Amino acid sequence: MKHPVLENRVRLTVWGIIWLVIAAGQTISFYYAYGQFLNVSIIDAFVSIILYSGLALSLWFPFNYFSSGKKRIYSVVLNLAATGAITILIWILLSNLLLHQVLAGENDYQAYWDATLPYRIGSGIFIYSLTILSYFLFVSLNNLSEKKSREARLETLVKETELRMLRSQINPHFLFNSLNSISSLTVTNPDKAREMVIKLSDFMRYALARKDEQPVSLRSELENLRLYLDIEKVRFGDRLVIEEQIDPSCLEVKIPGMLLQPLYENAVKHGVYESTEQVKVCTTATVSDGMLSIVICNNFDPEAAPRKGTGTGIMNVSRRLELSYGNKATLTSEKKGNVFTVALYMPA
Amino acid sequence: MNKIRTVIIDDETPAREILKHYLKDYPEIEIIAECADGFSGLKTISFMKPGLVFLDIQMPRLTGFEMIEVMTEKPVIIFTTAYDQFAIKAFEMNAVDYLLKPFPKERLGNALVKAIDKLGRTKESEIATPGELMEKLPKPSSPISRVVVRKGNAINLITVDQIKYIEAQDDYVMIYHNSGKALKQQSMKYYEENLPPKDFVRIHRTHIVKVSEINRIEPYGKDNHVAILKSGERLPVSRSGYKQLKDELNF
Repeated sequence: MKHPVLENRVRLTVWGIIWLVIAAGQTISFYYAYGQFLNVSIIDAFVSIILYSGLALSLWFPFNYFSSGKKRIYSVVLNLAATGAITILIWILLSNLLLHQVLAGENDYQAYWDATLPYRIGSGIFIYSLTILSYFLFVSLNNLSEKKSREARLETLVKETELRMLRSQINPHFLFNSLNSISSLTVTNPDKAREMVIKLSDFMRYALARKDEQPVSLRSELENLRLYLDIEKVRFGDRLVIEEQIDPSCLEVKIPGMLLQPLYENAVKHGVYESTEQVKVCTTATVSDGMLSIVICNNFDPEAAPRKGTGTGIMNVSRRLELSYGNKATLTSEKKGNVFTVALYMPA
Repeated sequence: MNKIRTVIIDDETPAREILKHYLKDYPEIEIIAECADGFSGLKTISFMKPGLVFLDIQMPRLTGFEMIEVMTEKPVIIFTTAYDQFAIKAFEMNAVDYLLKPFPKERLGNALVKAIDKLGRTKESEIATPGELMEKLPKPSSPISRVVVRKGNAINLITVDQIKYIEAQDDYVMIYHNSGKALKQQSMKYYEENLPPKDFVRIHRTHIVKVSEINRIEPYGKDNHVAILKSGERLPVSRSGYKQLKDELNF
């Protein structure tokens, strides 16, 4: 950990001011208690306190060493007490040496020193405790804010990861079956094969390229879904029919990219995959009162026993809505007769 | 040499087209039918008795795996599938070949060599029977939601919520459901492992019951119990079965 005072100019200034106040305090108290000459008290106090302030700055290192990591409380206390004793001893000895040099001309300085010695020791202990206490306070506050910012970072990370996970993955069945269709079309209808390669490329680009969660316009989302449905149409031919009723005013509304993909995939999976009859997938989008409404429905073969209705597709979409819009967006789904309908409402 | 009578079963037209195109260069193969779903596939197989079947796995109404479960004929089967790790694993150990779509013509050639070799060399009895094949079928990753059974020539799908209980009968199981019962060649273990564990409990060596069908449980004999269903049947409950029921129902 960096030194809390030396690394920061403001703190260094405050630190200096505090020591000047302490020095002034010592000057005044010693002068009134033992005073002979004011200049002796001033020089005495400032020299010894500046000396102490230097010592106190370097105290950070033993403090950090003894208190960091997982250590028993009594060993910390013991170590700090020993450090305190040594510090005060050094301080007394050094100031004794220095002051006798500086104030060599003053006659009664030895008497003044002798008289104030117990108080020097007392103030030494007091200042030492204050220093350690402020370091301790600094470290705890620092840990607290660090913990808070770490928690905040973690939270955004989790959210981002979840969003990335929820964004629909391309179904491998779809990909490989499409490639198989292309392989077949190269023989029977090369033009159509080329068209399908281009459509598949555009679709994959849209699905794979965006690594971030930048919202996209409903227009580009729908264009991409048309690509998807066109590709499926090549595979299933007349079994898949597509219908759209899109209000032009909602084409520029922004929504999370690939939000609707799982719903169409579901419609195709539970509708077309499971039925020998024609399946119609229809989409309606309208906007009113600042809310965008998208309704997707498909018919299905009621005879076909349900395969696995895991519901992860719908769950993922609804969770994405929640992460992106909070409780302002809703998703509802219902099965009526042989028609399955999903409706989304979200802020436009 | 007789031509090999072959059926292609796949719900996607382009997939059937490419296979037909590849097979044109193998004069020993004669395509006698194409089917676009599992039901018509089964019908065609039992009606035309082909020697070789190309079978897709994911299809409407009946999957390729489900077809094998109820197939009584024994054609050589080459699976064609787009993406199925479990299938790949399962068939690596099996004599039946599989083709991963899209596949090159050479890969089809290899599979055909194996199939022709098998058809020419072995007697019918040495070809993996549907029963043997079923043993090697991949385990479903999630609980099954339906069971396909054969009754005479009819194929029925029983959804799991229609099943009341299952009774062991030697190598078979009898599935009692809302509209009757159906015999199937499968093990109790398969159902114990693959029915939704929350809804079904194996109460005895010979019985698996749907928990919601139980009306009450009464002591029977020294330390056995008997479960009485809503429809009146009395099923034996073993000691370990009783314990499992207790865990499931929290009584």
